[in-house]
Amino acid sequence: MANKKIKRRNILKAGLGAAAVGSGLLGKVGTVSAGPEEDKIVTSAKRLQPAAMNGMMWSLYWRNYPKLNKEYKKATGSYMAKVNDVPNLLIPQRAMAEAISRSGKFDIFHVESMMIPSLVAAGLAEPLDDYMKQANFDLKMVGNFEKFMQYKGVTYAMPTDGNVCPHFIRKDLFDDPDERKKFADKHGKELKWPVTFEDELEMAKFFHRPEKDLYGFGGLRDKANSSFWFWQYLYAAGGFPISDDAEPQLTTPAAHYAIDTFLALKQVSHPEASAWGSPQMIPRLVGGKIFSCQYWDGIIAKIESPTAKSPTRGKFYYGLVPGSKFSGKLIHRAFSAPVMGIVVNKYSPRKRQAAHWALYMSTLKNSTSVVGHPTMTFHDPWHPGHMNAKSTLDVYTKQGMKAVHDCLQVTTPPPYLTGYHEFKEAVDKNLSEAYNGQKSGKQALQDMQSRWSKIVRKIGKRTIKKEIPYYKGMMPKVNVPS
Amino acid sequence: MAQSVPSQTNDLEKMSSRSSGIRIFKWTLLSPLICLALFLLPVFILQLYFAFHSWTIYLSSWSAAEYVGIELFQEALQDKRFFWAVARSLLFASLSTIGCFVFGLILALLMYRPFRGHGFFYIVFILPMLTVPIVIAYTCDMLLYRAGPINGFLSTIFGTEMRFTWLSNPDFAIFTVVMLEIWNWTPFTFIILIAGLSSIPKEPLEAARILGANRLKIFMEIQLPLLRPVIFLALILRFLEAMAEFPKTWGLLQGGPGSATETIPIYLYLITWQFFDISKAAATSYVVMLIMIFVILFAIRILRKEKQSMDTLYSVRSSGS
Repeated sequence: MANKKIKRRNILKAGLGAAAVGSGLLGKVGTVSAGPEEDKIVTSAKRLQPAAMNGMMWSLYWRNYPKLNKEYKKATGSYMAKVNDVPNLLIPQRAMAEAISRSGKFDIFHVESMMIPSLVAAGLAEPLDDYMKQANFDLKMVGNFEKFMQYKGVTYAMPTDGNVCPHFIRKDLFDDPDERKKFADKHGKELKWPVTFEDELEMAKFFHRPEKDLYGFGGLRDKANSSFWFWQYLYAAGGFPISDDAEPQLTTPAAHYAIDTFLALKQVSHPEASAWGSPQMIPRLVGGKIFSCQYWDGIIAKIESPTAKSPTRGKFYYGLVPGSKFSGKLIHRAFSAPVMGIVVNKYSPRKRQAAHWALYMSTLKNSTSVVGHPTMTFHDPWHPGHMNAKSTLDVYTKQGMKAVHDCLQVTTPPPYLTGYHEFKEAVDKNLSEAYNGQKSGKQALQDMQSRWSKIVRKIGKRTIKKEIPYYKGMMPKVNVPS
Repeated sequence: MAQSVPSQTNDLEKMSSRSSGIRIFKWTLLSPLICLALFLLPVFILQLYFAFHSWTIYLSSWSAAEYVGIELFQEALQDKRFFWAVARSLLFASLSTIGCFVFGLILALLMYRPFRGHGFFYIVFILPMLTVPIVIAYTCDMLLYRAGPINGFLSTIFGTEMRFTWLSNPDFAIFTVVMLEIWNWTPFTFIILIAGLSSIPKEPLEAARILGANRLKIFMEIQLPLLRPVIFLALILRFLEAMAEFPKTWGLLQGGPGSATETIPIYLYLITWQFFDISKAAATSYVVMLIMIFVILFAIRILRKEKQSMDTLYSVRSSGS
């Protein structure tokens, strides 16, 4: 029998071959582990020339994306090379400035979805449905929420932040037996989760103790944010700000109810609330100086995240926002604003690459890693898959996620019309003047109505009329979440 | 005779080279202004176009805008909100100018004569002017809380709990911004007035002292009259700048509470960047420019009169001596 000598050369050859096959397999394993949604997007994106892109996004949002950006670059060669740090409140103006100049300098804008009609009217926003078809990508959002990313049935943005506002109540005070007894003695009924805004006011009055630095209500009442709460009250009362014929409806009984509710809470708010935005209110809420409010769900993460050392961790109940029986039936309406999304610049020479990048960031897997981050909590859940993901449950708690899910089912937008900022400013200014006693609630509504009429005339009644069905289409399909 | 001709020629050459030197110097000084004007000219022309054509960002192209003549100017002049913005701006600018002048003059009077530690105090007094306005806004936002340090300090001084709402009281908010403006820009008037006080000739002051005049009399009857042109210059420059104040007002209050601090710059910002009504903003800007031109022409008239009276005073003194 002849022995076959194992030559060193053969061993080396075999080793090289194994290494070549192995690295190929590892590469494939890397792609496969990204998930099928991501794979399809990457496959579609690979057909395009790789591009280094420019974006506009607030750094507080961008900080969740570098890892995903790097992954995407590795997979496709395209990536966000430079991100201009511009705060949310200023991006609409900057985006419109780019629209005026028809500039293709920025490939994406991370902007509130309420700007979509205006950005489309200005010619800046690129429709995304074709890219979604190419990548076989289906955008899923809770309830009716995906309508917030659409305009006239066309998708124009990929969501990054749900920003719904559930109801918060101080658990320790709510559950305290002495407090419950005192409440029952005073009001002749048990202390329960508020079903209506009237219940909310009653409870807020009971727990309003400024001498102990505890305030009954902590919703925002500054000029920039007042209108979000006003819309909530208006919609819950069965109202709608504009008729099908583009006539403003801001002096209806429902509007009066809304402004009365808005103003009634002044007695249980901090005296400086009219000058306070989130930088002032959030520390008070997280610090336990507020009994109840509707507030952005990101604050749940701020309070409850295991890594956040919040003094009120475990001390809040989160749940469905109060509703109203003003219309004759109980209607709950939460508000989501600003719902942030990635809009692709139509004038950009890299818009196809930018669109694929935006889709990649919005898959379930990738968006879960963004919204479920334990410390960088600016992004809030919006996908049905977020509701049961381990990372989001850890950060927002099971109760918090249930509150988010319930509120997303009944969430509503601010006016989804071209000229949104002007419509909003008309409401904000008059609400602020009424809140500060410069005019009555009735006068505020009349002035809003008059201003809105002028704005509609300026933008064009025909334009606004065409948008109303889509605005109405964004309203929830249910009055009480399942 | 033959020797005087070359000297006359030399004089003529000297004169001609001097006048060409002056010409070159003038053009050198003016050239940056001319370059700036040329750079801004297209912007002005485009803005003029928008002021006579109705265009918003929602129209496809600005060249498709409709010609509306002076309609937008009429709209601006009939706009109640603009009227109130002008009124607030005038109130804000007047109060902050007076405040800056009073405090600037006090500091200038304390500082115009050198003393030990003069340099240190000079730096301390001009620091507010070197602070970025938006930083002032955000810092003061915290300082002016009801339970903040300013109210705490006042409580200590007055021996009673002060819980004043500096920013959320619509009747007082504008005065709060006036106070911040005074703090921020007093150094500007201080610098101008200290230069003016330092340039007053010493002889009249010494003569008055020798003749037994007290400090108040010297100030009222010698220093103040001689300082008048400088005072007017400081007031006018400060007033013009105060009319354009934006960062502190926007950073703190965004024109609120309600519309209590909505001045001209705030309103123009809203029209342009919230309402995206470029045409209305262009027309309103031109109306504001016209108002400011009237103010400047009035100011130039005053300064000319002051200059004439100073020239008369000095010519009388020099002919008298």
